[in-house]
Amino acid sequence: MPAHDVLIIGAGLAGQRAALAAAQAGATVAVLSKVHPVRSHSVAAAGGINAAIAVEDDWRSHAYDTVKGSDFLGDQDAIEVMCAEAPAEVLHLEHIGVTFHRDETGRLDLRAFGGASINRTAYVADITGQAILHVLYEQLLRFGDRIDRYEEWFTTSLIVDDGGCAGVVARDVRSGAMEVFAAKSVILACGGAGQCFKPTTNGLICTGDGMALAYRAGAPLMDMEMVQYHPTTLVENGFLITEGARGEGAHLLNADGERFMERYAPSKRELASRDVVSRAEQTEIDEGRGVGPDGRGIYLDITVVPRRRTLEALREIVNIGRDFAGVDITREPIVIRPGQHYVMGGVRTDVHGRTPLDGLYAAGEVACVSVHGGNRLGANSLLDTLIFGRRAGEHAAARAAGTRMPRVSRAPLHDDARRIEAILARPAGAGRRVSEIKEELGTTMNRHVAVFRDEGGLRTALDVVRRLREEAESAAVDDRGTVFNQDVLGAIELGCLLDCAEAMVVSALERRESRGAQFRTDFPRRDDAEWLKHITITRDGDGAPRIGYAPVTITRWEPEERRY
Amino acid sequence: MRFTLEVWTQASRDEEGHFERYDVDGIDPDASFLEMLDELNARLAAEGKRTIAFDSDCREGICGMCSLTIDGQPHGPNQVTTCQTFMRDFEDGATIRVEPFRSGAFPVVRDLVTDRSALDRIVQAGGYVTTKTGPKPDPNAAPVPPAVQQKVMDAAACIGCGACVAACPNGAAMLFTGAKVTHFNLLPQGQPERASRARSLVLAMDAEGFGGCTNYGECARVCPQEIPLDVIGMLNREYRRGARREDDTVGTRT
Repeated sequence: MPAHDVLIIGAGLAGQRAALAAAQAGATVAVLSKVHPVRSHSVAAAGGINAAIAVEDDWRSHAYDTVKGSDFLGDQDAIEVMCAEAPAEVLHLEHIGVTFHRDETGRLDLRAFGGASINRTAYVADITGQAILHVLYEQLLRFGDRIDRYEEWFTTSLIVDDGGCAGVVARDVRSGAMEVFAAKSVILACGGAGQCFKPTTNGLICTGDGMALAYRAGAPLMDMEMVQYHPTTLVENGFLITEGARGEGAHLLNADGERFMERYAPSKRELASRDVVSRAEQTEIDEGRGVGPDGRGIYLDITVVPRRRTLEALREIVNIGRDFAGVDITREPIVIRPGQHYVMGGVRTDVHGRTPLDGLYAAGEVACVSVHGGNRLGANSLLDTLIFGRRAGEHAAARAAGTRMPRVSRAPLHDDARRIEAILARPAGAGRRVSEIKEELGTTMNRHVAVFRDEGGLRTALDVVRRLREEAESAAVDDRGTVFNQDVLGAIELGCLLDCAEAMVVSALERRESRGAQFRTDFPRRDDAEWLKHITITRDGDGAPRIGYAPVTITRWEPEERRY
Repeated sequence: MRFTLEVWTQASRDEEGHFERYDVDGIDPDASFLEMLDELNARLAAEGKRTIAFDSDCREGICGMCSLTIDGQPHGPNQVTTCQTFMRDFEDGATIRVEPFRSGAFPVVRDLVTDRSALDRIVQAGGYVTTKTGPKPDPNAAPVPPAVQQKVMDAAACIGCGACVAACPNGAAMLFTGAKVTHFNLLPQGQPERASRARSLVLAMDAEGFGGCTNYGECARVCPQEIPLDVIGMLNREYRRGARREDDTVGTRT
């Protein structure tokens, strides 16, 4: 069986950064990913990456903006680490060949972004994620003699032995072969769970696999109620229109042509934090001032940005507007609405990426350090993946250096193989289809676990999720083969989504206040006395979610009322 | 809308493939080509028939995963990815032929899914910057003028989909490789390996069985990221430049 010092699940920005850091620290490394690395969802990140690079900026200002953006739920020790290390990380990326945008004089340019008190976002047009991911992958290939790549391998479970994580079981998507991978340290870096929602800006691969793997292995999830709705997604299909558009100066207008953000956030307006802007938009729509089909949208007016600048700095959304909405965004407004975009919650870790389960690390969207707390600032997610990916890689390598390779039995492989055989053996036509169940999950979550929530809606969502879980047990798959069987993966992914969705709904029900992305219409105020704490979800012996709490770390900034 | 599809069906890499005919109707003109295939798969599944395997993820044109040859054109009739190709671009009632990306260097995994890792092995031969240890230089100490920045940006926009290879009558990977070389050889940080990079990548390209360039220009015409044909000129120049160097390190990994 393959054995490595550090085994990384997922090959987006967090996974690749972890792999490079671990390899450079001298560890033997393997990266295992269900898709080819450059197809990982980091590729879709648009707007940029925050770092206090400007001479007039200070990482403490970045940290304060992040704390405020998190509605004071973020852990300030972790936020300080991330923001203090950001400039060096961005310079490292520049050094390995990321083509960050430069101004007329050839110097690095920084753009405005939501919730930031200064222009702080380094960017590559609106394809920043793609540009960084490809350059990191080139580095991964460069160290090909030290980093083994298992591309298109799907991890089916974590192996827990002696109270620690000792490896994983995975399935080769191309052949259907199963294998046990032993490892001294395992890093989960396999992204978020946006496919719990429909529509979502997330790719089809964002199915919460890592959160579910950790949860089933006994590691706690944290802040799962905090689900970000991005203010600008296409009204028709939920595609992302980058925050960079507003960073470049675009306006939001309601049916009266009013620039309504002036009422909700007089100082930052369109560039208030995402939770604030999404809530304002939803209020306008709910109160009958929406535009577009059934008044479900809001105008995003990019025509106020000079056309030349739009074509240069927002070229991807020019194409998206043209291809998917039939709109030339340089000449007319485009209709958008809030749409699911990011999960602030995830597997609980410390600043080294360590989860409470010995030997198991997590970094990136799958993890919850927590640097985003109740609401993530735009352009902090790429930063999170890279800083904590690197830190997890370094720590995992150091840990591996003083650890013996665990002896792993093949029993978990046989368990998973039997589980997959059972899926394949389900009688056709007996149960609902996987795609139907996923559709119902997505629309339910998008209705009841969205920008505005209340107890009734959340209870409904919980009932639906639990019924869907039972239905998923008998959902038939059509393809019974071994080669590139996407159906069987879909059935496994559905199970992961349902675990994540349950944790989200249970946490949202538990938090009886409004903070960050969680707005409870039945508890519309933030309640620091009772709820300035994280909610954790651990899986009980009988499979039920058990609620716990964790304190919020405050180093410098006491909670205060948030104004933008 | 109604279509007749002729879809390449192949159980695995080692088995023979063939075209299978399907009739689909009631398709929304604004459905993307992939959504049309989703619909077809849903109907096939409902009838208990074998579904069609194809790659896709982001469905907004950035991940480079979707890879269909539609009526002989990689990604279809417009210069965009397959996920950005819409059924309204086809005539109602048309017969559409759907194949995987065709190239000797891209073996079929199943149906419409191919293995494009040959592109990775080209990059592995030197398509990167070798970072040194120690403090990073101030990026503003080596300004990049806007004209150079624009050229680098155009090249770095490559999403590695491989449409250029599939479109080329010779099965060449020159546009892809040219984009990598242009990206790094124009940047200050790419200078240390500049002399050897083009030659290393070209040798790897040949070793993978990609063909040579005879200036058809099909690659640039199908590239969804609109990477200009100039990058091939740049690749050729850099290759010759490397050959002239006395300290030439052909084929060595830097």
